[in-house]
Amino acid sequence: MPTSASASSASPSPSASASSTTTATTRTHSDLHARLTSSDSEIQLKALRELKNRIIGNRTKKLSFVKLGLVPAVADILASKVKAIANHESNLLIQSAAVLGSFACGFDAGVRAVLDAGAFRDLFRLLSHPDEKVVDAGARSLRMIYQSKLAPKYDFLQENNMDFLLSLLNSENENVTGLGASIIIHSCETVAEQMALCHAGVLKKLISLLEGSLNQRDASLESLATIIKNNVEAVSKFVGSESVKALSSVIELTKDRNPRTRLLACMCLIVIRNTVPCFLHDIGIKTKLVYLLLELHDDPGQVGDEASFAFSSLIAEKEDLQKLAFEANAIDKLYNHLQKGSLHPKRFEGILLALAELCSKLESCRSKFLSLKALNFVTDALNHDSPDVRAAACICLRSVSRSIKNLCAGKFMNEMIVIPLVQLLHDPCTSVQVAALSAVGNIVIDFTTRRSSFVQCGGMKQLVELTKSMDSTVRLNALWALRNSMFLAETTCKEGIFLELTASSLASLVCDPEPFVQEQALALVRNLVDGCINSVEFVFSEGSIILDAVGRQLRSASKTEIGIQGLYVLNNVASGNEFHKEAVMHQLIPQAENGMHSFVIKFLQSNDGQLRTAAVWTVVNLTFPSSPGAFDRLVKLRNAGIVSQIKNMVNDPCLDVKLRVRTALGQFMTFGDGST
Amino acid sequence: MFGLINIYGMVMKATSKKVITREEWEKKLNDVKLRKEDMNKLVMNFLVTEGYVDAAEKFRLESGTEPDIDLATITDRMAVKKAVQCGNVEDAIEKVNDLNPEILDTNPQLFFHLQQQRLIELIRNGKVEEALEFAQEELAPRGEENQSFLEELERTVALLAFEDVSNCPVRELLDVSQRLKTASEVNAAILTSQSHEKDPKLPSLLKMLIWAQNQLDEKAAYPRINDLSTAMLEDPAV
Repeated sequence: MPTSASASSASPSPSASASSTTTATTRTHSDLHARLTSSDSEIQLKALRELKNRIIGNRTKKLSFVKLGLVPAVADILASKVKAIANHESNLLIQSAAVLGSFACGFDAGVRAVLDAGAFRDLFRLLSHPDEKVVDAGARSLRMIYQSKLAPKYDFLQENNMDFLLSLLNSENENVTGLGASIIIHSCETVAEQMALCHAGVLKKLISLLEGSLNQRDASLESLATIIKNNVEAVSKFVGSESVKALSSVIELTKDRNPRTRLLACMCLIVIRNTVPCFLHDIGIKTKLVYLLLELHDDPGQVGDEASFAFSSLIAEKEDLQKLAFEANAIDKLYNHLQKGSLHPKRFEGILLALAELCSKLESCRSKFLSLKALNFVTDALNHDSPDVRAAACICLRSVSRSIKNLCAGKFMNEMIVIPLVQLLHDPCTSVQVAALSAVGNIVIDFTTRRSSFVQCGGMKQLVELTKSMDSTVRLNALWALRNSMFLAETTCKEGIFLELTASSLASLVCDPEPFVQEQALALVRNLVDGCINSVEFVFSEGSIILDAVGRQLRSASKTEIGIQGLYVLNNVASGNEFHKEAVMHQLIPQAENGMHSFVIKFLQSNDGQLRTAAVWTVVNLTFPSSPGAFDRLVKLRNAGIVSQIKNMVNDPCLDVKLRVRTALGQFMTFGDGST
Repeated sequence: MFGLINIYGMVMKATSKKVITREEWEKKLNDVKLRKEDMNKLVMNFLVTEGYVDAAEKFRLESGTEPDIDLATITDRMAVKKAVQCGNVEDAIEKVNDLNPEILDTNPQLFFHLQQQRLIELIRNGKVEEALEFAQEELAPRGEENQSFLEELERTVALLAFEDVSNCPVRELLDVSQRLKTASEVNAAILTSQSHEKDPKLPSLLKMLIWAQNQLDEKAAYPRINDLSTAMLEDPAV
């Protein structure tokens, strides 16, 4: 009976009760503000404690209190009491620092509010307070702030700052040493900063902290990794003579009872290995790292979420480690985690990226992945709420679709994949667009005729649209995908794309301000004019606007890759009819002889074998004996000094070049080439 | 024929097992040098981790073993633990926040479990309206952040749907064991924040002893410890 009575009293208007709660909260908000600004410090203290207990662990409350402007009120208390020593003033300092720290904990809006309120400097002042509890509170709050990207960068190169940092690391107080470590992890980025820390003895100090308390060990491992990352000298210093024991104690810590310590120790070893590959090269330690990291995925918390990112950095670009991971059943293990469902977005992202790394090189991994039907999880992830997960799914798809066998079987050109992928080309988030483009780039190299399904759902149109993006990475990837879609495509397909793209915008992409975009645009043109003779005509539309652009780029080529792609465009055009060949000659040898050397000479003399190959090959196509104008062209080439340059190259160290040079010389001979 | 072969095999196995007499065994044990201080540290570690502050203090005075942690913090930790065990969860949360505000801010799972325990206590005390309001105001936002929290929240709110809780499928949430579970989770988190192992070393050493004896049983007959509380060596059955 009593239960039903209370139920009926609660049920009539749930909305009314909800709104009354809201007004109640607003009331306590404004009430809190009044009490925080009270002149009675007892009232302030009580208000601070109340505020602290309301916001700890509660993001929603943090946000609403930040919006209501309570942070400046708390910062004011801190500022006004920062020099006080009397006992309960100490309490005000502790509580206000704790409140500010909690606002800043894992919450960027809170960090910004604390920084805007000017509390940062005052918190640093607390570190020299005589009361240890005040020091604790200050150090904890500063550490929270340094865990955010928004924290101001600490300038290690300033001498006083380095001394201060060392004094933090040398402190007896664990929270203070922890703060020192957080500062390093947050702010040490450049090689100069890394070396400054090494020379000031920070490396040594951190190594000694590996023997410290549990928390100090973790903090030390993480900052060590920051200081030696990608810095050969620092790694050698760490592994080398100065501290023989350092490396072995890190290896020892991979067996620690605490999973977080194990993870951090693994990450430290990975940094060492990735920076100087000859360290930690023996198979034992590599296998151990693979197993350890796979096992750490079982941790239900943050450690498990981060394990897959560490795993990815271990195996990235390294086929031997990918093979070891495959043999350790990594694909099955990661797949089992995916199967658990309702994963935290961070973990989902990490596992997809790890699978992407595993499938990036080895066909055996891709086959395993596909046999488990893991692709279903990836296609689901393409529609995930989190942009990071969507991007990771695309990257995974890109890796798996490198499998030529399955690509040929049309495994990826189906509605389940193509439709969401094309939608992602419209994604508001640029990183997702770029990742989607990279996946599309692989999938459109379809050796059958299934490209049409991609075209039908507007994929091609969107790719063309994205070549006009303001973001150069987007332009680059869109061009790359279009380039691949032209690869060995039939003329009707090329025509469709070309009409959409237009000659003039293709010409302006060839002259894009970004060199790597130029290179992709040239590569696209190269594929466009490859194949049957009709294809060559594309570069002659709108008054040869594209061919002229290619010629311009070749004359000013800043990068080898641009030269290579540009020369192959000319090469393909030069394989056409007389008219085509003459047009190439026109680009090769400037009409008005104003003492300018042809750029071909420069390429023939280049150090890059590929570039020399492409240059000789172009000449071969131009002097093909059966074509009527070949002799005329040979004379022109000889006058430009190109023929004699080629003659000098009979013994080129690059076999490809040597072969083409022989062909060219053979052709020259048929004209009874008088080198005189 | 087969029987004979089997017996033959068994005989072989039995004879291949080495027999170690009590005398030999005790001589070997005496050869192992154990430092008294290490044993004392082990005991101190147990007392500190389990929170027996008075015993730890006495032991410190008697044995001169310094605890690896400030004994005052044990009192605070035990006060938190006790508060949860008595159902004063709000009080416990405030105490943890005074001890170290970072613990609940960086440990969403523990924070959720404490809030869940608070909800359970409200329901236990029949404060239905307050419970609903609390669930909506404090717990629902956490459920939005984490799918598994949402499921646990739904399970807990189910307690309200039953007039007679003894029929409720989730009645175990009202058990004392739920309080103990939450209390030990807080206890572990506080220890971790103090750079202390969350479990005492002694129990895992005993587990290792049992494992080692089981391994040895395959190869030898020796005086075994069967009763861990007395640690008496019992003669091997020959």
